[in-house]
Amino acid sequence: MPATPSFGIPVGTGHITCDLHSSTVVFSKLSSSYPLKLLSPRVAEHGVAIVYIMSYGGGLVGGDCVQLVVEVGRECKLLLLSQGSTKVFKTRPGDRASTRLRGSSLQQSSLQAVTTQSMEVTIEPDSALFLLPDPVTCFRSASYTQVQTFHLATSASIVLLDWVTSGRRSLGEDWDFLRYYSINEIFVEGRRVARDVLLLDNSTFDTMSCSSPPRDPPLRTLKDRLSPYSCYAMLLLYGPQTHSVVADLQAKYGSISVFKRTAPERFLWSLSPIDDGKGTVIRAAGIETEDVKKWFREALSGLEAVVGIDEYRKAFL
Amino acid sequence: MDTNFDETYVLLLLADSNLPTGSFVASSGFESYGTHGFLSLSSTPSASKGRTATVGTVAFVQDSLHTYARSALPFVSDAHRVVDAFKGKPETDHDATIKKLLGLDELYETMTLNHVAKRASKAQGVAILTLYSKGFACSSDISDEDHLSKALTVLIDRLKLMVRGEETHGHLPVCWGILTNALGISLLRAQHLFLFLHARSILSSAVRLNTIGPYSAQQLLLHSVRPLVEEEVSRSKDMCTGTFEDMGYNDAYDRPSTTWPLGEILAVRHDLQHSRIFNS
Repeated sequence: MPATPSFGIPVGTGHITCDLHSSTVVFSKLSSSYPLKLLSPRVAEHGVAIVYIMSYGGGLVGGDCVQLVVEVGRECKLLLLSQGSTKVFKTRPGDRASTRLRGSSLQQSSLQAVTTQSMEVTIEPDSALFLLPDPVTCFRSASYTQVQTFHLATSASIVLLDWVTSGRRSLGEDWDFLRYYSINEIFVEGRRVARDVLLLDNSTFDTMSCSSPPRDPPLRTLKDRLSPYSCYAMLLLYGPQTHSVVADLQAKYGSISVFKRTAPERFLWSLSPIDDGKGTVIRAAGIETEDVKKWFREALSGLEAVVGIDEYRKAFL
Repeated sequence: MDTNFDETYVLLLLADSNLPTGSFVASSGFESYGTHGFLSLSSTPSASKGRTATVGTVAFVQDSLHTYARSALPFVSDAHRVVDAFKGKPETDHDATIKKLLGLDELYETMTLNHVAKRASKAQGVAILTLYSKGFACSSDISDEDHLSKALTVLIDRLKLMVRGEETHGHLPVCWGILTNALGISLLRAQHLFLFLHARSILSSAVRLNTIGPYSAQQLLLHSVRPLVEEEVSRSKDMCTGTFEDMGYNDAYDRPSTTWPLGEILAVRHDLQHSRIFNS
């Protein structure tokens, strides 16, 4: 079922509202406007729905501003996926239909147009959101800001994946974008339980290197800080429907013992409990994006029992 | 000529490596960085072993300072500012000040998604508060006339009890901001010393891990690390946490953020090391 194109809604916005009607998830709202596109395929599993979040042309350009509101009704399980990575093209000062004025704090910090994506989600009692998109890929000189806020009821659950790659490696890009700024904030019954803010910034390097003499020690670029890896991921799990997956992950993590190495591994991950053990944060990094994807597909396969085997297989393609 | 001997004197006291900030338990992820094979990454393949270790250590200090300045320093600054405001009217602002400091402490807790770093931060934070009440606060008989230092002592004692009673966390950056202001250190000095101590503790752990020698550590501290600390202070000194404003504008760039995800992963994996000598 494709979203009905609505004329009354502002550029670059989307709205998803779903509720459960006798074991079928029904969308009372599924609307979006250019360049955002929402698509919901038919799903066999009871109480489960999938929405693909896409953009026209498969990417976003400098100045694009996309805002999505999501309301997951009681006892619904909603999977939010994408088709291919979110590509953020080079920033350019020009205009496009989806370009709008934003807050002054953003405008001042960079003369170039920033691409922003924001998502505001409420998750009602006994429902769950599985946000498992492909990673964001920022091209050379791109500047991207993503702000995602999640409001959970006490018995609600969330699996939230936020990941970024180093660029188009086939074109030699390796952490060459200008800025990637991602904020994930999770509230449970109005109480903030986690605020994850990641800033990957090359701009300070640009401004300093042209005016200063050679330095000792030399400045560290973003690439210096993040190498040898080209993909970083943050996964947050919270709520009753994540318990069995978290137990799997904890067992896996607990069995690791690191002996002194002479060179880094191809893939690394870490696990931290948050909010007195009620939630879990996984961070991962890999030389290849594919390594990271493969690891997540396997590590989260316990979700098959929660959302259905066929539905889970649509993630991490 | 700078005649502010008082502030300098207190700075000298606070720089003592025997204090809780003095790096005998925490390596801030440096031990794990070495174990995971990252020390050799920043150097050229032809470099000598000693040179490789030095380059790798400085690279770690740089990246660690970069992310710590942006994630922790705003909390030092805001706590310092809150105590500044408290000094204006210590009679009336006690409860409001406690509330603000707890808000900062809670925000730091929710932003630090790394249980190993949190563990170290809490251990050092409560030790800082204890240091003030047991060591630096004026003894009761001479402070009768000094209402302000009495009010500060009461405030810090109450916070310490709340940390002990697990009503709040007592994270290092917040406690550092409180302590330095209570001792009359200016905000800029407090920020500078905070990052200097962070860098020095990494170098001390590098010496203890036998990655670099003690002379080399002093040399790095004097020459290589000095401009790094200054640079990070000047870049992040005006940042604030945003807790006292409308968090709706939470996408501003001058709010706390992590800039080194690799450092986070390695710091969390500290506990996975087969053998280790530090706590973090």
